[in-house]
Amino acid sequence: MSTIRIRSPASYWLAVPAAAWMLGVVVVPIVLLVWVSFWGGRAFSMASPLTFDNYARFFANQTYLKLALSTIVHTATLMAVTGVLGYCIAYFLVMKVKSPGWRLALFLAFIVPFWTSTLIRAIAWVPFLGVNGVINQTLMYVGATQSPIEAFLYSRAGITMAQVSLYTMLAAGPVVYMLNAIAPQLREAAMTLKATPFVVFRRIVFPLTLPGVVIGQVLVFLNVMSDFATVATIGGNKHALLSNLVLLFYEGSQIRAASVVAVLLMLCMLVGVVVALRVVDIRRLGADR
Amino acid sequence: MIGWPKIGWKGRLGLTGWILGIITLVFLSYQWLPIFTLGLLSFSGPTGGTTFPMNGASFHWYQELWRATVMNDFKPPLLRSTLLAFACSATTIVLSVMAAQAMRGQFRGNGWFFYLMLLGIMAPGILVGFGFAIMMRLMGVELSWDTTTFLVQVSWTLPFGFLTMLAVFNRFDKRVEEAALTLGASRLTAFRRITLPLVLPGVIGAGLFGFSLSYDEYARSMFTTGPDATLPLAIMAQLDRQLTPEIYAVGTTTTFFSLIAIMLFTFAFWAMRRSTSLRKASSA
Repeated sequence: MSTIRIRSPASYWLAVPAAAWMLGVVVVPIVLLVWVSFWGGRAFSMASPLTFDNYARFFANQTYLKLALSTIVHTATLMAVTGVLGYCIAYFLVMKVKSPGWRLALFLAFIVPFWTSTLIRAIAWVPFLGVNGVINQTLMYVGATQSPIEAFLYSRAGITMAQVSLYTMLAAGPVVYMLNAIAPQLREAAMTLKATPFVVFRRIVFPLTLPGVVIGQVLVFLNVMSDFATVATIGGNKHALLSNLVLLFYEGSQIRAASVVAVLLMLCMLVGVVVALRVVDIRRLGADR
Repeated sequence: MIGWPKIGWKGRLGLTGWILGIITLVFLSYQWLPIFTLGLLSFSGPTGGTTFPMNGASFHWYQELWRATVMNDFKPPLLRSTLLAFACSATTIVLSVMAAQAMRGQFRGNGWFFYLMLLGIMAPGILVGFGFAIMMRLMGVELSWDTTTFLVQVSWTLPFGFLTMLAVFNRFDKRVEEAALTLGASRLTAFRRITLPLVLPGVIGAGLFGFSLSYDEYARSMFTTGPDATLPLAIMAQLDRQLTPEIYAVGTTTTFFSLIAIMLFTFAFWAMRRSTSLRKASSA
């Protein structure tokens, strides 16, 4: 017995507003994007004939294909870096920090920037990366270089540096959650049976946290693939990923081309998420074990 | 093992702890240093540039911010963003509690409903915003921060509130509810008097998600906001025009604002916990 009867009409009606909102604002527009990407002709009208021309044009252009490839490479790099870094941090926070006070302080120190604007945090990297930026001044002060390195601001390296600082917590968060859920008895049992710490980690701890790792990777993947704001802030106009291309076409009023890129971006993400959902069942996460 | 110094596994365990600790601290400073730099540079003098040295210390750029009119005036966008964030927060609270309660009713198709909500988190802002803008154009609806942007932003904040409420209800002790119902309370009364007060911290969490995600949203707003920009849009526009310490001042101010908002919510959360635990103690 609970405050709502199983399969009661009330349960349908309670779900209707949220479902209608999501359908109207998320699903319909995305379907619309797919439709628009097939529009032929030049006019912005629903009567446009449907063709594959827009896609053909995209795939015929070497520059766009290279851009798509570099987007995937860039995303994979970030997933690897944030994955390893995030796991180290999560493991340290949960397994190595024993005092509750320290744990809370570290937790807050990690979580507070997460609640502030990503855009501002991306902008905050600008004074760091420039030719006269903090990094270059430090390097010259230490004597590592004689002249400033111009490779930070408006470069792929700078974008990567900023995004690592923005998204590592996305990779670490789910792992923290999964590590916390591991019963200490499991590790003790293994230790009693003479497993070395590394074996305990490899055979017990890591497999149990795998769902957390996968979810973290999905979050980083989705965010980096669609993060055009950081790329635009730090990369200037010199660097673009697929998501910037959507914006570029949109601002140039090339709605069809923008839709094509958006659909391709969506397909990439869909493949990634489907693969990840095959590995873990997200719905089980909130439940008590 | 060759190459390893001869230390026992306990020593190695300690060493691992140290290495991981250093990685954590280095990352922490890596994450915080830009934010501190931003804050510090926003106090540079009138001739200060966008990087070090600071050229004196002053409130010049904050005064600039306050005096500014027309082009780089951030006050109206700030007001719009705040109002929008409150509206999204309230809507998220109501809809996510309803939706999570509906999930407990296990209505037919609840699996699809869950994935529909998840889609709101997974679907990137750039696609949703772009698609919605096209839809509005086809329908001939004028874009505006208080209509179209509101609709789009709730589709982003709602799933987070929903997942929060779902997690809260998963851990919720159903026996309390059952006791109320057994004692003759109607379902509505039991929900209002028993369930809702118990899940209130989760409700506040959902509200916090709603506020913060809406306040900081950029991608979705970019496509769907009309001529009157929200704060992130105004900042980005200013960044495109000219990079001055004024942007740092805006950044510092808005970061400060969101920190205050978080503290208020956390305080409400804490007060709520305290009052429920006091009630428990007094009824015991």
